[in-house]
Amino acid sequence: MADLTVSSARPARTVATWNKLSDLTSRWSFMLPTIILLTAVLAYPLLYAVQISFSKFDLMTFGPGDWVGFSNYIKVLSDYRFWDSIRVTLVYLAFALPIQIALGFGIAYVINAPWWGRSAVRALFIIPLVVAPVVAGGIWRMILDPLWGLMNWVLGLVGIPALDWFGDPNLAMATIVIIDVWRWTPFVVLIATAALLSLPKDVFEAARIDGANWWQTLWMVALPLLVPVLAATFIVRWLGAVKMFDIVLASTFGGPGKSTVVVNLFIYQEAFRSLHFSESAAMAIIVLVLTMIITGILLGLSRKLEDVQ
Amino acid sequence: MEECTKKTVTAWGPSLMRLTGAGVALTTVLLGSAWAQDQVEIRIMAVDSYAKSWQDNLVPKFNEAFPNIKVTIDATTGAEMLAKMMLDAVDPNPVYDIVLADDPWVPQLAEIGALKDLKGPEIAAMTDPGYDWDDFNATPLAAGEWKGGQYAVPVRSNMLLMFYNRELYQKAGLPEPTPALTWDDFFEQSPKLFLDTDGDGNVDAWPFTTFFSRDVLTPTIWQTILNSNGGQLLDENGKPAFNNEAGVKAAEMQKRLIEIAPPGALGHGFSESLQAFRQGQAAVMFTWGSVYKATALDATISKVTDGKLGMQTLPVGSVSGGAHRGIWNAGIMAKTQHLEEAWTFLQWLTSKEGEQVNVSTVGSFPARKSTLAGEPPQEWMRPVFATLQQAYDVAAEGKMWRIRSPKSDATQQIQADEIARFLAGQATAEEALNSAAQQIEGVLE
Repeated sequence: MADLTVSSARPARTVATWNKLSDLTSRWSFMLPTIILLTAVLAYPLLYAVQISFSKFDLMTFGPGDWVGFSNYIKVLSDYRFWDSIRVTLVYLAFALPIQIALGFGIAYVINAPWWGRSAVRALFIIPLVVAPVVAGGIWRMILDPLWGLMNWVLGLVGIPALDWFGDPNLAMATIVIIDVWRWTPFVVLIATAALLSLPKDVFEAARIDGANWWQTLWMVALPLLVPVLAATFIVRWLGAVKMFDIVLASTFGGPGKSTVVVNLFIYQEAFRSLHFSESAAMAIIVLVLTMIITGILLGLSRKLEDVQ
Repeated sequence: MEECTKKTVTAWGPSLMRLTGAGVALTTVLLGSAWAQDQVEIRIMAVDSYAKSWQDNLVPKFNEAFPNIKVTIDATTGAEMLAKMMLDAVDPNPVYDIVLADDPWVPQLAEIGALKDLKGPEIAAMTDPGYDWDDFNATPLAAGEWKGGQYAVPVRSNMLLMFYNRELYQKAGLPEPTPALTWDDFFEQSPKLFLDTDGDGNVDAWPFTTFFSRDVLTPTIWQTILNSNGGQLLDENGKPAFNNEAGVKAAEMQKRLIEIAPPGALGHGFSESLQAFRQGQAAVMFTWGSVYKATALDATISKVTDGKLGMQTLPVGSVSGGAHRGIWNAGIMAKTQHLEEAWTFLQWLTSKEGEQVNVSTVGSFPARKSTLAGEPPQEWMRPVFATLQQAYDVAAEGKMWRIRSPKSDATQQIQADEIARFLAGQATAEEALNSAAQQIEGVLE
């Protein structure tokens, strides 16, 4: 009897192992094309950039030459222009992201109320999203030009003197933030609208019965329920905003002075204008690592917020 | 029998026609393929601002003389063009036979062995005995030289020049500028060039405009002032020689220009300054000569037409007048499989006859002395030719060109960054120039 149990258990284990193996194989076989594709288009360029960042770039072969260790990183970290570009990027992020999130969710909350033009307004909000960043930068450059731009003319109608949008360092940064907010707030509005629509109606109904006013409903009911979506949206926008490049290139060229030289513009100029590919690769890797660390922190915070919920 | 013959003819008729048709078609295909086999294609990388115009206008003229060489010109944006050229040059099977390189790029391309020496024995053996190298002005020809080799030849010469609006000078009651105008004269006259042209009580025309934005070409203005005062970017040992009193004076003079330019000038690049001048909002503009034709002739985009436009070299400093060289050169890629055809095209384009065609069809500025001394093919070119020759001479005297080095673009970017910092008030002239000198020395080492 005991023998019978043992002999029947063995094939059962074999079958279980076989099934497990087969399951694993089929799962990986589904994932394999994606893995190959991602390796080809993401991992290879990334590893190549890492290789270049540790090499002297050989212009004769247009590829990585001698291994130079961390010297490119040391050179970059001691370049004041790199740190200035990081500072400029952080200033831009510090203004652009909160404004987009606040404005996006605010607009979504307002247009979420049922009224006759809601659908049309939602559709109009998509327009800035489909405008190419370079075109957006060029259009805004024309609008804000102190000599013939529309904006100063409009400001003049209400008695505000003409502003030198691209000549004043602070206003130039404001210009970049304005263009970016114009372009990306609709994206936040779309996400926020979907999130608001998915909120349970009975909670709002209960708040209404309890006598909550508009502000109390927003602050004490809607916002706490929206926190996970807010956090996720912030992270998505953070990952998009940290890549800021084309709008700056098309509108201010990084000027005046160094006031809008975001880090990606600096990396691009060092690589494709100065042909300092090794130093540029080192900067790109540093930015990648910093972005990953900050994204990790943001994700951790987001999870904590969800747990609190 | 007759019926039979008729039937036979009727039956054979269409077949014969089909056979004849097939024969004609076959002959056409065979002849076509033989012609196609004889035809060789060469590819050229050119900047997008004039690639299409060359393809549409210059290439057909070339094909009238050389129908068996098919020329394809690919347009590329200027910003990444050098990197693309270098990438193509190191490819075992490069795409391009000829590349059009901006003024400072020849040393960078020659240094990596990307270009053929056009005066070397291989090409010299193919060169027409009538091709006159000595007829080129030394200034534009030097843009294609590097370490004793001639790696490129000028195909579209350009110089930084002073444009002025005669109408605004008249309204201001000032004499028309001449090449003898000094910087002191210019600044002395400038207050009178703030004009209210429509009489509404507001200034709507300013004395000056040019590009002040953070761009690699912006320091050429500073450098031209420096050169016209006898200063140089590098000394005879190749070390920075501009972080001194002369450099500071030139930088401060460039900043003074912002004060007499329209609002927002600090953010203005090439396009905005050109637009301001064309709309009659500035009396003087420093810019590249190649915009002359459209500015002087095209009334749909310019108000400075009908003889209102004047052009000359930049004001005189303590040593000379000013100009800055910006030559587009054509070089042949070292790995080309079509050397003979590539040189046939380039030799035609830069010969005395070819340059005339280049000037008259697409309005390129010439580099040959004989072209400049001869009768201009179109009347608008007459003042251009005179000014261009003057600019070549002035530039040669003051070595008014960008740093000749395989690291030229990197040094230019550094100048752009530092001059921009100074113009925006983020650094003093001394700080910006010292920082630029330190960085450029590091790059050139």
